[in-house]
Amino acid sequence: MLAFVLRRVSSAVLVMFSISVLVFLIFFATPGVDPAARIAGRSATPQIIAQVRHAFGLDRALPIRYGIMMDHLFFKQDLSSYVNIGAKVVPQILQAAPITISLVLGASVLWLLVGIAGGIVAAANRGKFIDPLIMFLGIAAISVPAYWLGEVVNLITQGGLHHSIFSWVPSSGYVSIFQNPFEWGLHLLFPWLTLASLYAGIYARVLRAELVNALNEDYVRTARAKGLSERRILIRHAFRCSLISIVSLFGLDFGALIGGAALLTEVVFGLPGVGLLTYSSLQNLDLPVIMGCVMYGAFFVVLANAVVDIGYAFLDPRVRVA
Amino acid sequence: MPEPLLSVENLRVAFETRAGVVRAVDGLTFSVGEKEVVGIVGESGSGKSVSMYSLLGLLREPNVVIEGSVKFQGREILGLGDDQMQSIRGKDIAMIFQDPMTALTPVYSVGWQIEEQIRAHGTESKHQARARAIELLAEVGIPDPARRVEQFPHEFSGGMRQRVVIAMALSCNPKLLIADEPTTALDVTTQAQILELMGKLQETYGSSIVLITHDMGVISEMADRIVVMYAGRPAEIGSRVDVIRTPQHPYTWGLMGAVPRLESKRSRLVTIPGNAVSPLDVPEGCAFAPRCEHRMDICSTRPSLRGSDHQAACWLDSAQKVSFRNRGHSA
Amino acid sequence: MSDIILSATNIVKSYSVKSKKIGKREQVQAVSGVSIDVHRGETLGIVGESGCGKSTLARCLVQLLAATSGSVSFNGTIITGLSRKKLRKHRREMQLIFQDPYASLNPRKRVGDIVAEPLRIHGYGNNEKINARVRELFALVGLDVNGLQRYPHEFSGGQRQRIGIARALALNPQLIVADEPVSALDVSIQAQVLNLLKDLQEKLKLTYIFISHDLGVVRHVSTRVGVMYLGELVELGDADSLYDQPLHPYTEALLSVAPELDDGTQSTRNRIVLSGDVPDPSQKPTGCAFHPRCPYATEKCASDKPAFVAVSPSRSVACHYPRT
Repeated sequence: MLAFVLRRVSSAVLVMFSISVLVFLIFFATPGVDPAARIAGRSATPQIIAQVRHAFGLDRALPIRYGIMMDHLFFKQDLSSYVNIGAKVVPQILQAAPITISLVLGASVLWLLVGIAGGIVAAANRGKFIDPLIMFLGIAAISVPAYWLGEVVNLITQGGLHHSIFSWVPSSGYVSIFQNPFEWGLHLLFPWLTLASLYAGIYARVLRAELVNALNEDYVRTARAKGLSERRILIRHAFRCSLISIVSLFGLDFGALIGGAALLTEVVFGLPGVGLLTYSSLQNLDLPVIMGCVMYGAFFVVLANAVVDIGYAFLDPRVRVA
Repeated sequence: MPEPLLSVENLRVAFETRAGVVRAVDGLTFSVGEKEVVGIVGESGSGKSVSMYSLLGLLREPNVVIEGSVKFQGREILGLGDDQMQSIRGKDIAMIFQDPMTALTPVYSVGWQIEEQIRAHGTESKHQARARAIELLAEVGIPDPARRVEQFPHEFSGGMRQRVVIAMALSCNPKLLIADEPTTALDVTTQAQILELMGKLQETYGSSIVLITHDMGVISEMADRIVVMYAGRPAEIGSRVDVIRTPQHPYTWGLMGAVPRLESKRSRLVTIPGNAVSPLDVPEGCAFAPRCEHRMDICSTRPSLRGSDHQAACWLDSAQKVSFRNRGHSA
Repeated sequence: MSDIILSATNIVKSYSVKSKKIGKREQVQAVSGVSIDVHRGETLGIVGESGCGKSTLARCLVQLLAATSGSVSFNGTIITGLSRKKLRKHRREMQLIFQDPYASLNPRKRVGDIVAEPLRIHGYGNNEKINARVRELFALVGLDVNGLQRYPHEFSGGQRQRIGIARALALNPQLIVADEPVSALDVSIQAQVLNLLKDLQEKLKLTYIFISHDLGVVRHVSTRVGVMYLGELVELGDADSLYDQPLHPYTEALLSVAPELDDGTQSTRNRIVLSGDVPDPSQKPTGCAFHPRCPYATEKCASDKPAFVAVSPSRSVACHYPRT
């Protein structure tokens, strides 16, 4: 087991290193992009640009610049933004993180409940009307882009009906849970629903397919021959065996979202989370912040992968031997 | 004569498909007595497995039509609702299947799975069920049962898994055990162990067995009575000695002649010409007629099972049978 | 031409698998030092249960798998270690028939093309010549030439096996290795295919290596039979005498429990039901590989590995106490 963990940790570190190098090269070694010019501003003269370049160490060799940046980011922890001079990267990210986490946590609870319920009901009633109905709703939810849905939701809740039915919906923005839990939930309600809809659709469809497969397996035939009720067979046997794929899917989705993949939802609902931060730093080409956000996101994806791998061993005893 | 434990009468199972009606089972009639082992033998497409699945309500396809009568302990069970069948399955009638490698749920221990069955049909506590599970594992010859009861299916070999499956099937003392090709996926030496085990348990528990297989050798070793099926219909039914020593149906002659023998070498195996009949295309009369070398005009009318104790669905009379059989059957 | 068509000396095939210890890899031997000669024109049956290595041995003999060590010679020429180019001309002479008629034919090719493929690869001739040969082969195996344009899924299992046989015969091989060729077929179809194989052997003067787990089938087709257990050849001999009088305890047990048509007249045979499971090649016992399950094993069997020796001109066995 120890060997397994060590191997996973070392491969995780390797992945993070490779990502950081790749991001660094993309933003610092792309011809035509001159960070110094961006930092110095539009009206800067070549001399000022040269000065800025020197001040930021942008005239040193690539590997050294990489080393300096990593040093600032991880060890000195004082990596500063190129755009907002003085603003440190790490605190910015740490400030944005809870917002993203709140958004993703709430949405994930919703999508798991709805997706799993939908998948089970569809599989239990396969062939009857409700089965294709749920599958259709699922596909509809997947097809609707998050930003469109979000905007439409905004339009409805903030627009004409804001004064009547939806008067209780607050305007966009975020309220910390420590400040006012009720407001926190209220502000996040529609973002949760919007983000959850896509995933609920996916999970319902995936689970239904897995369940129908499982119900054709030999062990389900044995369970029927044992005289168990269909409900018990569906939940205790078919669902329990399908759980493995749902959990691994969830681990990866969750990790990616925490790392900032809920960007579109954050933008549409004005939530200053990590996704929004990444987005604005990309627009400004604020390289240290970009690097910080990417590393943050990569870390969670890698962590999620590792947790899922270990989680397999809990769910599937056959994996424990290997 | 006492009421048979299981009485199947004119069982018909048909699947309505786009390509036509597939008559998987077409008029099966036989019975199983107390403590009796009945072997159903046939090749693929003979309907031997489908007939038993239908009896237990294990056919879940929406396009299946099941007709006829199946009486268990005098009670009609064909057409019972699923919840009523659930109390019969696993308790009065148990069934085991062919491939032990996939027969058990991989995520639960074998003990958990046996206990699940025990508690589904009785009022035992967890503790009692666990004790019974360990007892059962010991009975089927699993060494160190108290420890192994907590292990998962993948920690057992194929033969061991089949023993677990048998233990599970016998956990509620069923009157009837249906075994669908239980040793086909196993090696010869393992098969011998499992068959020996089944024989032993049958004596201990006093249950009847319906043994489905394609292997005439296995049937001849285990069965008291034999049902030979072809194209969903019974070709011949009789006691083991009768069917093997004096088979009455040309298909049975062909089947026995086609099996290579261990103890002597023949120059050529008797073959049944042509291919197995397609289930969509079963002829009006005798299903075997197109491949039968003794085919007569009357065979265009379907023969019913003729005879009393030893029955065959064939128009040939006894004298003809004796001469044809001796011609082709002997070494 | 010499009497020995194929000669294998000390074939070993091992695989390296991950060990339970960190970082190490273990060697698992699928075949552990098998030496065997195949006589021209005979049918050598190789019988054994799962994990005994019979399929692996067969593939090593025809160079489909590279043996880890040992040598094989065909018609006097050593073929192990030859380059692909040099091996090619020998490949024509040795062909295989596989077990699963559903998996051994490419489902996307027409059956005529499947049978023609070896002819094309080895430059048999122009299209006309190839087509004529394909028709000839189809007739030889009893298939209707009208089916040449069809796809495998349109044929039954037995017919597909015939197509596989036609393909194997395309280049007029001298040796055919049949790996469980009838195991996936119904009994009545099995009989047809076995009869066909016998007829072809007579007609074309073929030599067969016939691998199967079915003892009855092996007896029916073989002139000599070899019994394998855990990667080793434990007994070899003339088929009739081996079946009537097995020398190795494993062979004896195997034959005693193989299902036989019993009409109640024969005296009950003495069935030796072995205890324990068919063993795992990664856990080979010391000494004689069979000793943990052998009803006659002694201490010597646990420590000394018995050599494979000839006890008569036509019988060999690897046992300290062969049954007599």
